[in-house]
This record gives sequence, structure tokens and C-alpha cells, in this order.
Amino acid sequence: MSTTLLRTIQPNQFSLLATALFRRRTGNFSVRCCGSQTTTTHEAKQPSQSRVAPKNHRSNKLDEILKDYEAVIGIETHVQLSTLTKAFCSCPNNYGSYPNTSICPVCMGLPGALPVLNSKVVEFGVRLGLALNCDLSLKSKFDRKQYFYPDLPKGYQISQFDIPIASGGYVDLDIPLEFGGGHRRFGITRVHMEEDAGKLLHSDTGDYSQVDLNRAGVPLLEIVSEPDMRSGIEAAEYACEMQRIVRYLGVGNGNMQEGSLRCDVNISIRPIGQAEFGTKVEIKNLNAFSAISRAIDYEISRQALLYNQGQADQIVTETRLWEEGAQKSVTMRKKEGLADYRYFPEPDLPEVILTQEYVDGIRASLPELPEAKRRRYKAMGLGMQDVLFLANDVSVAEYFDAVIGKGAEVKSVANWIMSDIAAYLKNEKLSINDIKLTPQELAELIAAIKDGTISGKIGKEILFELLAKGGTVKGMIKAKDLVQITDPAEIEKMVIKVVSENPKQLEQYRSGKTKLQGYFAGQVMKMSKGKANPGLLNKILLEKLNA
Amino acid sequence: MASRALLAVISASPNRCFISSSWIKIQSSSSSSSLSLHLQRHSRKIQLIGRSYSSETKSSEFQPPDVSSLAETARISLTPAEVEECETKIRRVIDWFGQLQQVDVNSVEPSIRAEMEGGNLREDAPETFENSESIRASIPSFEEAYLKVPKILNKE
Ligand SMILES: [Zn+2]
Repeated sequence: MSTTLLRTIQPNQFSLLATALFRRRTGNFSVRCCGSQTTTTHEAKQPSQSRVAPKNHRSNKLDEILKDYEAVIGIETHVQLSTLTKAFCSCPNNYGSYPNTSICPVCMGLPGALPVLNSKVVEFGVRLGLALNCDLSLKSKFDRKQYFYPDLPKGYQISQFDIPIASGGYVDLDIPLEFGGGHRRFGITRVHMEEDAGKLLHSDTGDYSQVDLNRAGVPLLEIVSEPDMRSGIEAAEYACEMQRIVRYLGVGNGNMQEGSLRCDVNISIRPIGQAEFGTKVEIKNLNAFSAISRAIDYEISRQALLYNQGQADQIVTETRLWEEGAQKSVTMRKKEGLADYRYFPEPDLPEVILTQEYVDGIRASLPELPEAKRRRYKAMGLGMQDVLFLANDVSVAEYFDAVIGKGAEVKSVANWIMSDIAAYLKNEKLSINDIKLTPQELAELIAAIKDGTISGKIGKEILFELLAKGGTVKGMIKAKDLVQITDPAEIEKMVIKVVSENPKQLEQYRSGKTKLQGYFAGQVMKMSKGKANPGLLNKILLEKLNA
Repeated sequence: MASRALLAVISASPNRCFISSSWIKIQSSSSSSSLSLHLQRHSRKIQLIGRSYSSETKSSEFQPPDVSSLAETARISLTPAEVEECETKIRRVIDWFGQLQQVDVNSVEPSIRAEMEGGNLREDAPETFENSESIRASIPSFEEAYLKVPKILNKE
């Protein structure tokens, strides 16, 4: 799914970068809005607007920039956990509840209320930490991070500061071929447990904001990456992989639109060869993978332009907000010095102690993770495009695994899932879990085609019925009398009939219009209601036509 | 809210001090003039500092409190008289930390948390708090299911 999303952004990248590069110089260069183009009043020398060849996914401009500059990108990912209750109280953790109903003295920070840690939060922290190849702290603790904001009833957030539950890991991923391909490993600095704040709704009119505290106290895991990424694509793929891992593990739904997976990006650029990092800029409000990619490429261009104009001093430590509509980022706040959170250990919570047995138990219960699945699919002989498609969605991967578990041939299964089934899911807006076709029956269907019981064409026809209504392949073949006709005598009868009924076409064929063979084949197939074995049909037809 | 924040600032009073030794170490090596920690990204470095503290105990000078800036961080306004009053109180707390720094903890295993009964985790079983209406009722500005607050776009 994510890969598809990224694919769709390709054509726009040129214009985006061109905009970034030329706006300042020309002053009146237009900005593209959601793909619709306003007129440009200046003939800026833009790269060709034609569709980008897959390999050359970035604009030449960005490639040129990256000859002189290196981008250094790190990502902080907040993962909302799909626990039944909040982190430190028993309030239900339900997205979309009526505002300010899932609250209690603990999450509202009322005097005397004491937090008690949800055991699931620890379990999910360990699961994610292990999945990201981290070292776990058998002893960790919670700290208070103080700040004042209306979405934070207590005046502090319970988080983990100096001793996170997991640290020092990495994640492996494959870059899709259309973005240049390749395998990457990005470092994971740490994973820590914390609580979410409430939700602030800013009214467009009026000078007030509204607060919903249902989310206050909902458990989060924050994943901090090493600054290992070098482009928007790498960062977006990293975020995709985080979503996949979260979903594979079942620790969260990873939904970016709902804010269940939130990414903040830190980015700086430096002239190649320079040892020290450039000034770091943070970008927020990235609620789609395509936004991550585009916002970063925009930022790289913006900073490179300032460098090139001798205005590097104008790159300041700041937080910028990505504006999806305008496809640009704007300053949200400039930071003067480090934020002062006055961390100190949370006195109301004991340290979090894990036993080795507990950790080992969770390790043993981990599902096969995306990277392991991809390597396994690759080893089965599937191409990278198939591998990435199948392993992208855990439900699809499980379905695929179940079908090949029934002995079906790997490549056929991949083809059926990626073409007809995927198209059906897309049209009907369903997930693979919603279809009535069981893995067992897909395996039966493939086998029935392979052994010649039914033709491939009929196979496709009954596929859609099975997807929508369920049932068995054998039952359907029997009920509809779909068994392929493989008896040469029976096919011959039909061929003779068709040929004799079309004397005109036969004459044309015999005088050189051999393309008409297809016409005859179609007529015979129609007469057999699609059941004639195509190989036999063509063989017999040729004999009769050339007789 | 403000009173709670002030409490956080001065919570290190002798009878309820949960501040870990590693915190003190980082604090004393920090050039910051407030009673605060810098957020450092490299947690491993911090852990290293935290874990190696016991072998390098030394007394260090604490900066005198800047009550005005502390008050600003806590979002409270203090009169000059109150600033003066708080300054002596907070200085006493800080001096007490100075005494703690003198303690030789060379042979002591670092404790990341004060002694508490461990293992008190909670099952993930939802329970709706029955009197949430009274919480909502006590919110000074509550309208149409939401808390109504002044529009603030700039966090921190
Ligand atoms: Zn609660």
C-alpha cells in the first residue's frame, strides 16, 4: 500500500523541486496546489515535465544538489498502542469516543491520584524493541517531562528519559525498484514508553481552541532513529517499515490519518566532506508517507539554495510545518536554545523490571517480521516487486503463506493475488480478510487450472464468484458443469460445425487472411461456453482450416 | 496547574527526594543555570554517565537559583517580594543537594529508582470511571463537550 502511495508522487517531484529552487530567484514562480497547476509567469528553465523514468525518480536538480551536499535525516516516530486501556489508568482507549468521556482522576492529573502501569505497554515495548533488534534494559524507569500546554492536564508527560526500555537497534529494508532499489540498514537509537497528550482542535474562527482529553494518557512508544537516512525516499521507506512492523506485531494500527503513527523528521545538510553536521531543522505535520518524502526533498532544496547563495547563516534551528496543500513548509517556531523540560524521575511509579525469562518468552512469540518474510520470499524465487507487494501488508502475506502452505505453486499464487484479487479488493474497497475465497480454495483453483480440469479463462470467472460468495471450486465446477472439454472428438465436432457455418471467412482464410484463425477459435470457444481446452482447440482448428 | 509545577521545581525537599544519583551527576556537570536537564539525544551517552557516576563522586558547585526564570518556566507570576522569599527556600534545597554530593557512594550500586514494591503492573482491563461528570463539571471553561482554552499555537 505504502509503495503504491509513493509511486503516485513521482510525477509531482519535478515541479515541487523546481518550485523550491526557483521561487526565490524569480519571485513570481507559481506554486502547485495538489497537482493542479497555476500559470507560471516566468520561463524558468525547468527539467522536463515528462513522466519520470523509474530509475531516475528524483529530479535532476535534486541529484545535482546531492553531488555537492549530503542530507542527514533522522526520524522520531510515535506509535499509539492498541491497548484496551490507557497507560496508567483503566480508562478505555477508544479512538473516536465522545469527547472528554474516557477520563478519570489519574489521566486528568487530579490531586492524590496515582498512576499504575498497564502490563500490555511493557509487553508491547519489549515486542517492538526486539523487533527492532534493540538491547533491552532489564531495569528502566519513567520520568516526568514538564511542559505547559492545554492538552496536558498534569503539566507533565510521563515518559522515559535517560533509561529507555530499548536502545541500540537497527531496521533493514528494501527500497522499491522504481526508487533505485537496494537494501538499507538504518540504526535505531532508542524505543521508549510514554503517554500521549489530549487532542487540540483549533477553531478557524474565534480565538479559542477546544481540547478533548480522551487521548490524554493513551500509551505510546517513541522510536528514535539514528540520523542514517540521506533522502526523502529513504525516510519515507523507513516510515513505511515502521508501520509494517507495528502492524505485523499487532502493537498498534499504524494509521497515519488518525494520528496513530506520527513521524517528525530532523534534517540538516552539509557540504560533502564536511565532518560536522549542519543546522538541524525539524519538520512536523507529516501524515502521509508521500508527505515525508516530499517535505524532505523540499527542505534539502531549500537549504542547498541558501548554501549556494552564501546565506547558510539563514538556516536556523527551527520547527517547520509541512503544508500539504501548498506542497511547502513554513516556519512554526524558531528555537532559542534547547527546550527546557526539567526531566526528573517519576516518583509515583516504580522502576520497570523485566526478567530474562519474560523477554525470552516474548522473543519466542514474535511473528515472522517483514524483513524475514521478504528474504524468505526472495529465496523462493520471487522478484523484488512481488516480494515487496506480498510482504507489505501482513494480512496479504498471511494469506499468501496459507495458500502456498496448501501446496500451490508460488509464482502462480503471487500472480493471482497481485493481479485479479488485488484488483477486486481495490474495486470493492475490501481488505483481504473480507474475501470469502479461502486459501484452501485458491490453491484448489490453481490446481484445477494446472491439471486441465478447467481453463484459465473459466478459472478467472469463477474466481470472482468465489471471492464474493465463497463456496468450493469443486462444487462450482460440478454445479455449473465447467469441466474443461479435453476430448478431441468433441472439440472436433464443434470445429467442423463452426467452419461449415462460416464459408465466407473460410474462403478468406484460405486466400491468405490467416489472422481469421482467431475468429474461428473464438466461435468454437463460445460454442463450448469457454470450456474447450485452448491447446487442443487450436490444434484441431488448424488441421481443419488447412485441410 | 501552576502550583503543581512549582512543586515539581522544588520537589527535591529532603523528606521526599526521589532524585536519582545519576540525575545529580548530570545536573552538576551541566552548565545550565536552572534546575534542569538538557534533553540529550544520545541516550547511551547519558546511560554511560549515569552508570559511571559512582566512581567519580566529587562535590560540585550548584548555581544559585534564578527564581524569575524558574517562575516563567512554571508559568506563574511572582512579585519581587515572592521572588525573594522563594529564592531563600530554593537555595536551601539546593544547598541540601550540595550535602548529598559529599556522600561517598563509590561502593554503592547505582539505584535508578527509589525503593518501591516492584511488580505492581495492571491488567489491561478497561473500567470506566463512573463519576467523570463531576470532573467535567469542575472544569472552569467547558463548552459543547470540549474544554475551551485560549488559542495557543506555539508549544513550549
Ligand atoms: Zn483515566
